[in-house]
Amino acid sequence: MSGVLVVVEQREGRIARISWEAVAAGQKLGATLTLPVSAAVVGAQTESFAAEIAARPLDKVFRVEHPLLARYTPDGFSLALHQLIQAESPACIVFPHTYQVRDYAPALAARLGQVLIGDVTAIGDGPVFTRQLLQGRLNGAYRPTGSGPCLISVQAGAFRAEAPEAGASAAPATVTTFVPTLESAQIRTTPGEPFRGGSQTVDLSSAQMIVCVGRGIKDAENLPLVQDLATALGAELAASRPICDNGWLPMERQVGSSGQTVSPKLYLGVGISGAIQHLVGMKGSQCVVAINKDPDAPIFEVADYGIVGDLFEVVPALTEAIKAARQ
Amino acid sequence: MKIIVAIKQVPERDAQVRIDAAGKWIDESNLQYALNESDAYALEEALQLKEKSAAAGGEVVVVSVGPERVGQTIREALAKGADRAIHIVCDDLGLRDALGVARLLAAAVKPENPDLILTGLQSEDLGLGQTGVIVAELLGLPHATLILNVEKTETGLKVKRELEEGWFQTIELPTPAVLTIQSGGNKLRYATLMGIKRAKMKEVRQLTAASLGVDAPPVVVLEHVALPQKQKSTQILPGTAKEAAAALVEKLKFEVRVL
Amino acid sequence: MILFLPTFAEPQHFSFFEKLLFTGLVLASAYGFWRRFGLVLKKILKSKKDPSFHLFPIGKRVWDFVWEVLCQAKVIRERPLPGLAHAFVFWAFCAFALVTLNHCAVVFGIGFLSPAGTIGRLYYYFAAVFALFCAVGIAGLFVRRFLVRPKWLGARLSWESGFIALLIFVLMATYLASFFIADADPSARTLWWIHTLALLTFLPIIPYTKHLHLILSPATVFLSRGSFAQIPPLSGDEDFGLVAGTDLTRLVSLQAYSCVECGRCTEHCPAANTGKLLNPKEIILGVRAYLNDLGPSSDQPLLGKYNQQEAVFQCTTCGACEFQCPVGIEHVPILVGLRRGAVNTGAWEDQYGSKLFLALERGSNALGISPAERDKFIQKQQLPIFDGTQEYCLWLGCMGGYDPKGREIVAAFARVMNYLGTSYGVLRKEKCTGDPVRRLGNDLVFQQLAEANLEALAQNKVKKIVSICPHCVRTIQEDWKEYGTPPEIEHHSEFLARFADKLPRSTTTATNPESFVSGHDFSHAASAPNSPGALAPEVRSSPVPAPAASHPVPEKIVFHDPCYLGRYRNVYDQPREVASLAGELVEAPRHRERSFCCGAGGGLSFLGEETGERVSHVRAAELVATGATTVGTACPFCNSMFRDAFDAKGEGAPQLLDIAQLAARGLPPGEAS
Repeated sequence: MSGVLVVVEQREGRIARISWEAVAAGQKLGATLTLPVSAAVVGAQTESFAAEIAARPLDKVFRVEHPLLARYTPDGFSLALHQLIQAESPACIVFPHTYQVRDYAPALAARLGQVLIGDVTAIGDGPVFTRQLLQGRLNGAYRPTGSGPCLISVQAGAFRAEAPEAGASAAPATVTTFVPTLESAQIRTTPGEPFRGGSQTVDLSSAQMIVCVGRGIKDAENLPLVQDLATALGAELAASRPICDNGWLPMERQVGSSGQTVSPKLYLGVGISGAIQHLVGMKGSQCVVAINKDPDAPIFEVADYGIVGDLFEVVPALTEAIKAARQ
Repeated sequence: MKIIVAIKQVPERDAQVRIDAAGKWIDESNLQYALNESDAYALEEALQLKEKSAAAGGEVVVVSVGPERVGQTIREALAKGADRAIHIVCDDLGLRDALGVARLLAAAVKPENPDLILTGLQSEDLGLGQTGVIVAELLGLPHATLILNVEKTETGLKVKRELEEGWFQTIELPTPAVLTIQSGGNKLRYATLMGIKRAKMKEVRQLTAASLGVDAPPVVVLEHVALPQKQKSTQILPGTAKEAAAALVEKLKFEVRVL
Repeated sequence: MILFLPTFAEPQHFSFFEKLLFTGLVLASAYGFWRRFGLVLKKILKSKKDPSFHLFPIGKRVWDFVWEVLCQAKVIRERPLPGLAHAFVFWAFCAFALVTLNHCAVVFGIGFLSPAGTIGRLYYYFAAVFALFCAVGIAGLFVRRFLVRPKWLGARLSWESGFIALLIFVLMATYLASFFIADADPSARTLWWIHTLALLTFLPIIPYTKHLHLILSPATVFLSRGSFAQIPPLSGDEDFGLVAGTDLTRLVSLQAYSCVECGRCTEHCPAANTGKLLNPKEIILGVRAYLNDLGPSSDQPLLGKYNQQEAVFQCTTCGACEFQCPVGIEHVPILVGLRRGAVNTGAWEDQYGSKLFLALERGSNALGISPAERDKFIQKQQLPIFDGTQEYCLWLGCMGGYDPKGREIVAAFARVMNYLGTSYGVLRKEKCTGDPVRRLGNDLVFQQLAEANLEALAQNKVKKIVSICPHCVRTIQEDWKEYGTPPEIEHHSEFLARFADKLPRSTTTATNPESFVSGHDFSHAASAPNSPGALAPEVRSSPVPAPAASHPVPEKIVFHDPCYLGRYRNVYDQPREVASLAGELVEAPRHRERSFCCGAGGGLSFLGEETGERVSHVRAAELVATGATTVGTACPFCNSMFRDAFDAKGEGAPQLLDIAQLAARGLPPGEAS
């Protein structure tokens, strides 16, 4: 058993923040267990990624390279990593909890006779790993009891990814290329190119961010104000029933009991008071922000963040602030 | 096509969460149970696949692990249209890890020789999201996760997989295969009185861990549970329009992480 | 005196040939009648027995028969002029029973009413009075049908009705004419024969036309299910509601054949009035056509060719049709029965309907919101938890527990109860009563909800319930009976009316409607759950002191009767008594028994967008047109529908307040829980 191995995920030519968070989690685990921390990146052309990873305070960086790993497949990735793990026998393997990891890491763990402890939010002494149960209403502490390596994946945002210190004192980690033995027959699934979901019609139900406008907008002429905000955010524009009834926005943009049911990451209600017919359509939103001049508007009951104020002042200010933050 | 759907009974989403005396799980007295949501979508996908190729014949078999009370959820699945069921009666589900449960399922499913095994993406109680993938590994079958749509082709299956941030991908794979189904790909059918009455006549075969010859200690244990600290409450951002906007941008950037 | 009045002329001797002819004609006429009537009777009797039908207690049946059939009370009440005309025809028919019997008896020389005898003479005059009114009445009805032509009667002109009217007119005219000729006059014989022919032509026409109601509707009224809009329990393992002919019960078949096609149901139907497919008259006629073509043993589906599924699911179950029906047809159980047939077998596919059913299969409320939100509201509002010691269990319902507006109503009602010192508590956990799924025909989910709730109420030892929602009240009191014994329950209007004299009248005067933000009043902070710190009344009114404020005018309040409180529960005066604590009441054109639905009932508030005009908008416009400054409601569903409608109207809409909020207005500040 030799240390902690962090599996870094590269997609679309870059390493996402969550992978750096996994590195941070690996380092925390390494410190707890007083074990060296290494990282691995899997793909067909991983040189530049490996160099980027090697700038972090790590022991080793493995480039798991094979032409058959050019595109992600669960078979390819679990076969390749299985071979690396057998060669290096790490004590712990840390993954970012991404859709990709969720797709192959459980199978990899089973192949090792282990169980992945997924979606970890905290690491405690022991080590014990905390993860959420019952959809966030309960926390559970898990302890590995097997004799093999322990595998965990960490939740986005649970660990703070440190920015690489410029001109850090430690020398860059050594980069090793590991070429697994793979045959194309072993890869049973054929993945297609990623595509965007239904861009033709408005699909509020799968939108990640929604700016929703209500009666507070007063007039159709004022709609561009909110449209600008939605554009700055990269959000879909939606509305409550009176707005669509008036024909200010098409019916397909209506959120509520007689319109669409949405569950975006961010719902931003502008001039929405929060009638029940509307609330039932947006109650699944992960984060609700409300801007309304009436502090007693029911929308504030369900909001995570609220701004009590005149939307004609707040919205332009917010659009500017978002544009500034996006630059 | 013979389709196995692995389903799980979970506490109703409305259930009040109280920790039991041992601090190892929630107090299950007075809990009500329901079919796990993404499993309901897996069942729906299976039923639709069967209905689409009605001429070719087909069978949908549901399989579930858990104590006697799981029988109720199995009946509901039969009421929605599954043809028969396998109930792996198991009172110590909480002591088994994902691998242990998957071993039970794999052992029960193997002699059925199905063309397709479906299960929900993850359970609403433990949220592991691993059972289907491990079953595939144990049975040596190809798999795909986060599937929204399944189409049968000449050679196997064409499935639509959800990726992050609104992207999708089509994957082709041969059968037999294991798919884990994401919620929302289909419209669920509601349970009917007629279905419930007809379900009474369908076969439910009961198996146990012992009869399946599965016995291995867990490699991961849930040591204790605790209630999370913070409760959701509305944070009103004060100040002038500019100040409030700036404060909101901070929140969107660092807490909601959408910027 | 009597001798100077004309005597009724009636031939007393008939030749053998006449006797033979008369007998032949009577037999032919009776045969013609029976040929059709026998068939109808067979179809009714071959229908399934009504499993839950009980003839006893019979008192109410007798009363309904006397009042609705003999007195024609419903016919007259709902359409006074044509109703009265109809009543005269009916009464004349009754009066003529004896005359007609005698008319036939004289042929064989066994007449028992001598036109010359005192009793006979008096009776003939008595009948003549009716004949006169009947002749005028039938002429009036003829004019109405063929010249005025109200749209409820349908676009197609019913020539058979015209012919029948003519026959009745001839019957009356020949009778009356017989007073003005002598017995010996040959025209007396002619009149007798014309009268006879009219009579014998009339008889066989009856069962072939809607005039069948002459014979069936007295039975239909007598044999009704016993209470308004009552949904009968399903029986056995193969009963899923009205799926096919084999599911039609005798009552349904009897009612289908009783329809007189008057169109009163359609005239009052909110769906038919707002451009929807549903026309309650056509539903009943659809069932009749099915019976005519396929009969009660057919396993062909009832929905499809004869009735459309879309129409059946447009019903708000407001009950206006059933309430209006003069021949005893119970539309609501038939419409709900057809829905049951479609839902219990899974034939109904509707995006919104499925969503509602799935929400209630799994969760606790029709809105699909987490019950943690209800807990939060109870905590914030500091509502006491029911522990078995309090007098009342305050049932929140889905709207009271989750809808922001419904919560304001609960908060206001709680304030009043606190003021009155009533002991009450709310249940920790409550499931939807099942009202929407019951009306949409999902017996599986309804049973689950009713049983779970009954158990919870029994566990908590609840004896008395009070609720702000008429739908909850109805469902708990009537529909749950199928699965157990529900506790006593009343609507908050009944509770509040009992204590009305103990509640202070509010001195609030009408404010200029323009000063209200977006038409609905959030500014009543005292009753809003969001801010226990009440704003002083002065702050509430317009920020600029309006000149009107110095000349206070009493608030004008129009009260909207909720269907489930009015027609379903017969409660009309109590909410008015409560509302009048806060101002002066005005009435909308359609009120009390004739109130027009808000569009929410029958599960429709969960079914997405309506086709045609929105029912809520039609009703809201009617309420606004009264010029009232406040619309008073007594149902959280009506409230939410109107709020939506007023939102669309924008500024200038009247205030919308529940009677609990109106009652709480006069309470001293600081009385909040």
